[in-house]
Amino acid sequence: MRLTRRDFVKFTGIGISTFLGMSLLGCTKKETFKDTLVIGYADDLKLRGDPAKIDRSIPKFCVLERLIEYDLSSDDFVPSLAKKWEIENDGKRIVFELRKGILFSDGTEMDANAVKFTYDILVVRKHSVAPKSVEVIDDYTVAFNFDEAWVLNFAKLQDVHGLGVMSPKSVEPEGDPNGTLVNLIGTGPFKVVEYVENQYTVLEPNRYWFERTGLEPKIKKLIVKVIPDEDTRVLALRSGEVDVLIDNYHGGYDYTPRNQLSALKRDGFKVLTKNIPYTWIVAFNYKKEPFNDVEMRWAVNYAINRDEIAKIFDEWVRPAWDGMFPPEAPGMAEANVRYEYYLEKARDIVSGKDVGEIKFIVDNSQSDQVLVAQLVQQQLKDVGLNVKLETLERGVYRDRVRSGDYDLRIYYIGGSERTFYMRIFWRFLPPEKPWKVYMSDNVTEKAMAVVKEFDKTKRRQKFVEFYKALYEEAGVAPLYYEVVAVVEKPNVEGVKFEYSEPRFYSAYVRAYA
Amino acid sequence: MLRYIARRLLQIVPTLLGISIISFSLLYIFPGDPAEFIVEARYAVEPTQEMVKKIRMEMGLDRPMLVQYLDWLSKAVRGDFGKSWTEDKPVMDLILERLPASAQLFFTTFAISIAFAMLLGIISAIYKDRAVDHFCRIFSLLGISIPSFWLGLILIWIFSVQLRLLPAFGYGGIEHLILPVLTWSFSFMAIKTRFVRSCLLEALSQDYVITARAKGLPERIVVLRHALRNALIPIITYFSLSISHLIVGSIMVEVVFSWPGLGSLLVESVFKRDFPVVQALVFISGVLFVIVNLVVDILYAVIDPRIRYGD
Repeated sequence: MRLTRRDFVKFTGIGISTFLGMSLLGCTKKETFKDTLVIGYADDLKLRGDPAKIDRSIPKFCVLERLIEYDLSSDDFVPSLAKKWEIENDGKRIVFELRKGILFSDGTEMDANAVKFTYDILVVRKHSVAPKSVEVIDDYTVAFNFDEAWVLNFAKLQDVHGLGVMSPKSVEPEGDPNGTLVNLIGTGPFKVVEYVENQYTVLEPNRYWFERTGLEPKIKKLIVKVIPDEDTRVLALRSGEVDVLIDNYHGGYDYTPRNQLSALKRDGFKVLTKNIPYTWIVAFNYKKEPFNDVEMRWAVNYAINRDEIAKIFDEWVRPAWDGMFPPEAPGMAEANVRYEYYLEKARDIVSGKDVGEIKFIVDNSQSDQVLVAQLVQQQLKDVGLNVKLETLERGVYRDRVRSGDYDLRIYYIGGSERTFYMRIFWRFLPPEKPWKVYMSDNVTEKAMAVVKEFDKTKRRQKFVEFYKALYEEAGVAPLYYEVVAVVEKPNVEGVKFEYSEPRFYSAYVRAYA
Repeated sequence: MLRYIARRLLQIVPTLLGISIISFSLLYIFPGDPAEFIVEARYAVEPTQEMVKKIRMEMGLDRPMLVQYLDWLSKAVRGDFGKSWTEDKPVMDLILERLPASAQLFFTTFAISIAFAMLLGIISAIYKDRAVDHFCRIFSLLGISIPSFWLGLILIWIFSVQLRLLPAFGYGGIEHLILPVLTWSFSFMAIKTRFVRSCLLEALSQDYVITARAKGLPERIVVLRHALRNALIPIITYFSLSISHLIVGSIMVEVVFSWPGLGSLLVESVFKRDFPVVQALVFISGVLFVIVNLVVDILYAVIDPRIRYGD
C-alpha cells in the first residue's frame, strides 16, 4: 500500500492527538483527601483533673452537647438533648424531657442520671452557672431547681462557662461529681482518644453521633495543638503545620490577631468570621471623679471616632455607632440609639471642667486592645483630656481593676451568643465586682427586668428600655463590635459556624495525589 | 578545707532564709485578698463573704503571718508546696511534669553555648582587633541586643514557613529542639563569648605569659596551656552559675515555641495568680542558684588553694 502525503499527515495527526490525549489523561489530578485536620489553639483543653474546668472550646462543642441551645436570631432557647420542657414554680423549676436513644461515644445511653451527674459537678462547686439542685424524675425526665425565677436559668444551662452532658464514666470514682476527670465522654460528633496536657489532643469521629444525624465523617482524626503565642500560631498556619486556627473569644485573649487577618487573606488563607453580640468598650471608673459625672462620660463618647478604630483591623470588625451592642442583639435595633462623633461638644464639656491626669489602663496580653487604647488615648487628648495610658501585664491589670486604681479601661460587654444573657448579669447587675461595668439604680432596675422576663416579646421591650437607660447615662463608651474568626488553609473545606462556634463534623482537607 | 566548707555553709543560711521570705511574701505583696483569689481560681464564682471566710480558715490564712511563714517553710524544705489553686494537683507534681522539657532544652542549650562561646571567645582574644575579632564582637553584640522572642519568630519564619525544614512549635523529637536551642543559644552564648574573650585577654597580659613566650614556646601552647588554664577559673564560675537559668531562664523561648517547660509554667501561673506555683518556682530557683554558687566556691577552693589560704 502506498502512503500518500495526505495519509501521512492524517496518521501523524491521529498519533499526536492520541499521545496528547493519553498524556493529558495521565496528568489529570485525582482529587484525594487528607484524613486528619489539625487545629491550632491557644490553650490546653484541660481534659484531666477538675471536670468543671474543661476548656470552653473543642471539648464543649465537639465532644459534649447541651440540653438546650440559644438562638440569637430568634432570641429563643431551643431543644438539643432535651426534647421539651415545662416551667414550674414561676420559673424556679424547669422539668426537661430528654430525647431517647442518644448514645455516648462509649455506646452507653445518655439518661437523666448522666444529666444529674453532669450538673451536680457544677452544683457541688457552687459554680456561677450552677442550678440549686437537680432531680431525676425518671430515666428520661430531669428537673432543675433554681434560687431565682428568671430567664437566666435557661441561659445558665447552655452558657459556655457551664458544661455539656457527660457520661458518669468520665470521672474517677465513676459518677462522683467531686471526682477527677480521666476521660471525657460525651454525645457530640467527636470523642477524645489521646490527650497530652499542654501539647495536643487527638479526637476521632463518634460513630453514634454520625449514625444519629445521618452524616458521614470526612476526616478520621481531629488534632488540636496547643500554641499559646499568637504570632507562632499564625506562623504555624503559614508553615502548614496546622490547617485551621480558631479563636478563644473569651475576653480578647488568645485569638488570631485581627490586624493579621487581611494579610492572611491576601496570602490565600480563608478567613471566616461570625458576628457576635460582643462589644469592646471604654469602661469608666464611674464611682469616682471625673467619670462619676455623666457629662464627662459623654465627652469621651463624643471624642471617639469609631471608624478610625475599625480601620485598625482593616474593618474586619464593625464600628460601634448603633448602640452598645450590635444590631443583632435582641431589641438593639428597636432601641434606636446612636453614638455621635462630635469633637466640639466634647471639647466644650472638657473645657468647662477641672480634670487632672486620667489613668487609662490596658492589658498588654491583648495586643489588639493595646493598639485600640493608643488610638483612643490620642483621640481623648485631641479634646483636651490629659490621658496617661498604662499598658500593664495581665495580672497587674486585674489587680489595678480590683483595687479601682484607674479612670478608664478597655473592656468588653456581651459575648458569644450563648453568653449574652449571663453577661448582662455579670456586667450590669449587683453585687459590685471588678468585672461589673456600670450600675445605677435606673440601669440596674432595667437590666434586672430583662433577666427576669420569661416572655420573649415582653423581654424584647425591656431590652429596649435597658439599652436606652444605659445610653442616657453614657454608662459605657462602645468602640467596636467583635467577631469570632476561623482562619484556614485554602484546601480546608466544610468548617462552619453554629451559634458562635466553629464546627468540624463536616470538615475535610483536600490533598492532591 | 572542711572549715572553709562549714563556714560557706553557714553563710548561705541567711541567704536561703531571705529567699524563702521573699518567696512566701509574694502571696501578700500582690494587691488583693489571697482567699478571694483561691475562691475565684477554685470555684470560678464570685467570692462571697462566707466562702472567703471558709477558705481563710481552711488554708490557715487567718493565722499570724509568722506562723503561716514557718508552716510554709517547714513544708517547703520537704518539697511540699501545697496544691495548685488552678490545676487541682500538688505543685511539686506540676513542676516535675514540666522539668524534663526544661532540662532537655536547658542542657542542650548550655552545652552548645559553652562550646561555641569558648571557641569564639578564644578566637576573638587571639586575633584581638582583627577582622575575626570584630566579627565575633558584632556577633556577641547582636546576641545580647536581639530579643529572644523576636529572633525565635524570625527563625520560625525562615526555617518553618519559607524552607519548611523544621517544626514551628511543639515538644517531641530532636527536630523540635533545634529552633528553641538556636534561639536561646544565641543570647546565651553572646555574653559568655565576651566574658571568655576578656578573661583570656587579661591572662594573656600576665607576666607568666610573657615568660612563656620568652622561653620560645609555641603560641598554641602559650594560649591553651598557660593563659587559658588560668583564665578558666572565672569562666567556670560564670558558666556554672548559669545553671540557675534552668528554672526560669527560658521563659520567652518556651512561650514562643510552645515548649511545655518550667518557664511557660511560671508565666501561666503569674497570669493566673496561682501563687503556690509561683512561690515554689521562685524558691527553688533561688535555692538552686545558692547551691550552685556554693559548689562553685568549693570547687574554686579546690582548684586554687590561694583562695583557702587567703581566706
